Amino acid sequence: MRASLFCEACGKVQPPAPADYFAYFGLPRKLRIDVAALESEFYRLSRKLHPDLYARASAREQEWSTERSSLLNDAYRTLRDPIARTEYLLGLEGMHLEEQSKAATDQARETGEAKKQVVPPELLEEVFELNMQLQELRMARQAGEAADDQVVSDLQAARKNFEERLQALQAELEKLWTEWDEKMEQGEEPSPGSRPVLSAMVDVLNRRSYIRNLLRDVNAELQAAGPDSLS
Amino acid sequence: MAYSNKVIDHYNNPRNVGSLDKSSSEVGTGLVGAPECGDVMKLQIKVNRETQVIEEAKFKTFGCGSAIASSSLATEWVKGKTVDEALAIKNTDIVRELSLPPVKIHCSVLAEDAIRAAIRDWKTKQGEPQPAPATAGKTTA
Ligand code: FES
Repeated sequence: MRASLFCEACGKVQPPAPADYFAYFGLPRKLRIDVAALESEFYRLSRKLHPDLYARASAREQEWSTERSSLLNDAYRTLRDPIARTEYLLGLEGMHLEEQSKAATDQARETGEAKKQVVPPELLEEVFELNMQLQELRMARQAGEAADDQVVSDLQAARKNFEERLQALQAELEKLWTEWDEKMEQGEEPSPGSRPVLSAMVDVLNRRSYIRNLLRDVNAELQAAGPDSLS
Repeated sequence: MAYSNKVIDHYNNPRNVGSLDKSSSEVGTGLVGAPECGDVMKLQIKVNRETQVIEEAKFKTFGCGSAIASSSLATEWVKGKTVDEALAIKNTDIVRELSLPPVKIHCSVLAEDAIRAAIRDWKTKQGEPQPAPATAGKTTA
């Protein structure tokens, strides 16, 4: 597969072929990947595609090598990151997070029912409440009030809580990776049997995006409360 | 990304921010989220039981400018409508009014979801004066 980047006979760069990122790196569609190996392969290919090497090549080859490089960068960035990699695989397998949500809205419209929320209502309540509190803090700060120790320690506790939950979600996700990879190893076609694993991943990622935002906002508030409170 | 003027107007000057008494039997509350981005929106309506007209609407959104504008617009639109008329509001109407780009469609979806959820909550309350966990399906007012 990698060979298709370059001509086998003359080693010249070839026009971009529509390939998925896994195939691009010669990897099977599995979620546990050797990141170190990915990295060295990335550097090896980057060197081969370096623009300097094509300075005297034809305009067409230069263009191809540039396109190849940007594809290479996107592929590497996506596969290196566990969440981006998972989302990418879900997309390849036809599970689009956004579409699921839209489909649920369409169904709600047709049946006249409220939409089935894709995360538990308690989580939404919690997110909403915490956002209210953060907003109050922000307003107090803008009014010139310094955050007191109690507020800071509450925020630190909240941060710890969200960090732990993100880790728990990560662990949950990794278990699903294993399940998926096993199916791939058994050469199972990624159809009906693996659907539940994929939807379980979507489910984890959905919950994760709320927790990630909360952590981000709590951190921002801690930052604003003073550099000392971050530790 | 460039926001349309209408989005900016609603964003800088949101209509009907706030809350209504969640426990009142006349009030329906919808709390919804967009898993794509982790934003949340609460929309509440106060409905006249006789006329079925939505007399008041409030919202609070923690999210992007388009989500704030969509919910602000949604509260403006539902006010004065009957619940059935309000149920006819589609996210595509909001997209059109605010000229939202494709990546911001889910923000308008959130507003539509919120309207529906609020109305569902209100209807449930009408069927069950002593609100039980909302397991009931269709209820009659
Ligand atoms: S970006 Fe998610 S609601 Fe707007």
